[in-house]
Amino acid sequence: MKISLNWVGDYVDISDLSADKVAELLSLHTAEVEGVETFGESIQDVVVGHVVQCGQHPGADKLSLTLVEYGGEEPVPVVCGAPNVREGLKIAFAPVGSKLPGNLKIKKAKLRGEVSRGMICSERELEMSDEHNGILELPEDAPIGERLIDCLGMVDSVLELDNKSLTHRPDLWGHYGFARELSVILDRPLKPLDLEVAWPTNAGDWKLKLSDAEGCPQYGAVEIDLGGTPGLAPAWMRNRLQAVEQRPVSDIVDITNYVLLEIGQPTHAFDADTLRGRAIEVRAAQDGERFTTLDGVERTLDQNDLVIADGECSVALAGVMGGLVTEVTDSTTKILLESAVFHPTRIRRTAQRLALRSEASTRFEKSLDPAYTEQATARFTKLLLDMRSDAKVLSAPQVEGDSNAPHVVVQLDPARTSQLLGIEMDRAAMTGILQRLGFGVEDQGQELAVTVPSWRATKDVSMAIDLVEEVGRIYGYNRIQAAPLDAPVTVPVQQPLRLLGHQLVQRLVNSHGAFETQSYSFLDNAWANRLGLTRKDFVCIGNPVQAEVELMRRDPIPSLLEQAVGNLRENPVGRLCELAKGYEPVDGALEPQERRWLAVVEWTGKDTPREGQESLFARLRGVSQDLMRSLNLLDNLKVTPVSAEDSLPAWAHPVQSLNYHVGETFLGWSGRVHPQLQAELEFERADVGILLLDLQALAQVAEQAEAKFTAPSKFPGIKVDIALALPQAVAYDDVVGAIRKSGGKFLDTLELFDVYTGPGLEDGQRSLAFRSLLRSPERTLSDKEERKFLQKMEQVAVELGGNLRS
Amino acid sequence: MRNRLEALCRDGIAAVAEAQNADALQEVEVHLLGRNGALTAQLKGLGKLSAEERPAAGKLANEVKQALQKALEDRRAAIDKAELEEDLAGNGIDPTLPGSPMPVGGVHPVMAVARELEDLFSSMGYVVWDGPEIETEAHNFDDLNIPGDHPARESHDTIWMEDTPEDGRLCLRTHTSPVQVRALQKFGAPLRVVAPGRVFRQEAQDATHEHTFHQMEGLVVDKGIGVPHMLHAMNSMLEGIFGRKLETRLRPGFFPFVEPGFELDARCPFCKSGCKVCKGSTWIELMPGGLVHPNVLRAAGVDPEVYSGFAFGLGLSRMAMLRYGIHDIRWMMSGDLRFLEQFPA
Ligand SMILES: [Zn+2]
Repeated sequence: MKISLNWVGDYVDISDLSADKVAELLSLHTAEVEGVETFGESIQDVVVGHVVQCGQHPGADKLSLTLVEYGGEEPVPVVCGAPNVREGLKIAFAPVGSKLPGNLKIKKAKLRGEVSRGMICSERELEMSDEHNGILELPEDAPIGERLIDCLGMVDSVLELDNKSLTHRPDLWGHYGFARELSVILDRPLKPLDLEVAWPTNAGDWKLKLSDAEGCPQYGAVEIDLGGTPGLAPAWMRNRLQAVEQRPVSDIVDITNYVLLEIGQPTHAFDADTLRGRAIEVRAAQDGERFTTLDGVERTLDQNDLVIADGECSVALAGVMGGLVTEVTDSTTKILLESAVFHPTRIRRTAQRLALRSEASTRFEKSLDPAYTEQATARFTKLLLDMRSDAKVLSAPQVEGDSNAPHVVVQLDPARTSQLLGIEMDRAAMTGILQRLGFGVEDQGQELAVTVPSWRATKDVSMAIDLVEEVGRIYGYNRIQAAPLDAPVTVPVQQPLRLLGHQLVQRLVNSHGAFETQSYSFLDNAWANRLGLTRKDFVCIGNPVQAEVELMRRDPIPSLLEQAVGNLRENPVGRLCELAKGYEPVDGALEPQERRWLAVVEWTGKDTPREGQESLFARLRGVSQDLMRSLNLLDNLKVTPVSAEDSLPAWAHPVQSLNYHVGETFLGWSGRVHPQLQAELEFERADVGILLLDLQALAQVAEQAEAKFTAPSKFPGIKVDIALALPQAVAYDDVVGAIRKSGGKFLDTLELFDVYTGPGLEDGQRSLAFRSLLRSPERTLSDKEERKFLQKMEQVAVELGGNLRS
Repeated sequence: MRNRLEALCRDGIAAVAEAQNADALQEVEVHLLGRNGALTAQLKGLGKLSAEERPAAGKLANEVKQALQKALEDRRAAIDKAELEEDLAGNGIDPTLPGSPMPVGGVHPVMAVARELEDLFSSMGYVVWDGPEIETEAHNFDDLNIPGDHPARESHDTIWMEDTPEDGRLCLRTHTSPVQVRALQKFGAPLRVVAPGRVFRQEAQDATHEHTFHQMEGLVVDKGIGVPHMLHAMNSMLEGIFGRKLETRLRPGFFPFVEPGFELDARCPFCKSGCKVCKGSTWIELMPGGLVHPNVLRAAGVDPEVYSGFAFGLGLSRMAMLRYGIHDIRWMMSGDLRFLEQFPA
């Protein structure tokens, strides 16, 4: 919202303050000022000129050759094409070197052979109106050389306020509200609005009917004979409207706008002669009713909308916009002025549904003080009668219905107020602030009984804490000094899942070169199919940000795969991880379940081996095992290849996927992503794998896992390398199991160091080479134990269908 | 015997002199003096000598052994010295070659800020807590004193879940504020809590708008809590983010769940007399806050006559943007390694 400081200055003296200072005061005490503009800045170079000579241009019929005097210097020659230019006229003159709106710079020019040193301006060239039939004529007594904006009273500063910071303040939707604020902040008197009208005593004969009392509890109307047709509003009024970016239209429309911007109350002027039946009914619209608003657009209404109807049909969309048929036109001679109370939410809903937020609807939706209606009627009439001497009010204003702001009295404890604000303020000072704001204050000893003024009582102020705010903000929040909490220190409760997540991410980042990312919680609907699921398996969004992106992800894998694809071009290899929630609908429950996941996605070139230490599959297993090790879970960790019976997520490879368990608790998966899905997502020259861990499950098993120290043996061990040539089909897991089972109590560590197939082995055989360590905590082992171990290994190899290589 | 020992000594010393490095020398030593070496073989021959010959031969063998050991020692010292000299000469070494590649990773900038602040507030005795991202209308709005007809509830501001009953609507939480009530309901008063987390708005994306971003809520409820405590907590938070104390000021701000409500401005940390970030004003608006509205305390089962509290909300995404100079919020959720790589852990 824009606030003109000239306008505010009508009601409170701020003439000694800079616009920046006023802006700062309002920002610190009332609401955020987002900017300060200077009205008239774009034409500040234009001065009052005097046409001292005017003759025919020798080379062009339609041009005049003039001499213009504009202060100080000698008169200059100026070529002018306007029909109304004449000797002796005072005009708006832009000399050489000056600037006009649109960044137009005036230069010395030659027009049809004659030198012209400046420009005589029309209203349009000055952006004052659309008038361009001739040049602007200034009063005869306009002082030559004076700035045009000074001469016309156009110097003004305009503050831009953040509308959002005003939503709770229905009293701040007009200039008068800001004048009141400044009067309180500065402790200066507030001048009253001039509402003095000598109303006729005869009663009006309009039949006013309120058929939707919720929608419109009060409706006021007054009929006025304009004593002619609408004309141009005086310059001072047009300047003010223009300063706050309200385009002047005609005096009648301009006054309604002026009143709206001054008090905050929207009014509407109907052309009284277009209303039929001398009747006004405010009612709910019919479903499907069609109505053309004064912007010429036909709109379809429903029964939640509120309309104003005359004796025959709807003539205005209540609180939002008037109708085309009954609007004030050039030929209007009589108006019916409406000033009413409308239901805030009804108005907002209508404006929103029709995408028709107007200055009026914006205000009505704030719960305006009902008392504004009467003030607005009087203010409009007062301004109109001042401006049009022939105008005549035809009857006393009529009001149907009765709406009042609630009578609110709040008990305020001054001691608690000071304590909450952390300031020292006595009750007299507190009372003073409240009274200046318009509150009634009665000191009851311990507490103050505070009566809320009608303009703050509709929804803004209703309890003591609201008054604490009033006292605090006028005192100045920026004067409050910080103070640390005075509270006992105890060990704060921890959320184990958070800590676990952080710990694992840090490990991934530091040890495994993963980059932590954040990805969206939403999935494209196509993912349901891709994952072999249906919409029912997902929590779905009713109003998605993007069409067709309606699924809430069950786990972060799909989103991470998408991010991986996005990276392929610049980074053919990478590893991302994310701590994120998945969402699952729960049968029979309203609220879905949210599960916290730690997800890793890794991609690499397609030529990476499928098996062995360099493979994606093995690397992700290595990462998982390291994470488990960091949680002391490695000893109890069960890693098993997936089997046909497992219910496997659709993104998982049916063979190269692993399940992780500790005891019976399932922790998650790692493995390659299903090649079909990879193809669908266009991984093309890349191969991609994932690791997904259920943090809830991990936290459960990690809670009991604690590192335990065992003193290392004092005796040296014996390193024995063994290689078992076995049929390919024998799994590594089974080999290790058998070695461990037979290896005896001295077998300490067992480490795979080579996997070999090729010459020296039979077809279908592979050799697994292990480095084993035999060690006893009690003594040094001898050759005997080594020989015994090798015999056992020979047996193991034979039992598994192969032999021990030497 | 004597001849063989002398030959062994002569040849041995020659072999030692020829050894060019420690390994070769070791080999020579084993060959001469090892368990199966030449000298041992000669010593075995001693047993075959007569008792008269034996002492002289034994003495000679001992002398040969000492001579060989001395030669080995000298040669070893010479080799060591040469190697040391060569090492120190550094011939052919390019000390500017790059370091070996190590695994490099990084923490997401928003998470980095969040975790730092969690640690900071933890150290001041705050609980770090969070709530569900799919939230009930009651928790996201009603309990926070946001009126039933408030525009924020409408579908152009809030993302609503599909097919939920009118009296049990679910939305994606639009702020972390619902954790205020959830935490109070769980822990009761007095309470100190911060709640970082993901929030959602129905918003078209551009450089400064995202539908998914991160906030951190702070809440303290206790007896005698007032605005100065809030200001102190907010200042501490900024000190944590920017690593130094910033001059701050409070001014009015409006949020239904606090009263009075504030905006906290801080002196622009990036300039002295105005810059792009502060739009020339030297102040930047950093976080909203206020005293917890009595209706919110009541909704959480806390008696506002006994307790008061403050709450503040920090835009974690925005703070990360300010701190690292990120000018487009859309990077945050992009997963683009060219972005993530710039934030080493
Ligand atoms: Zn700055």
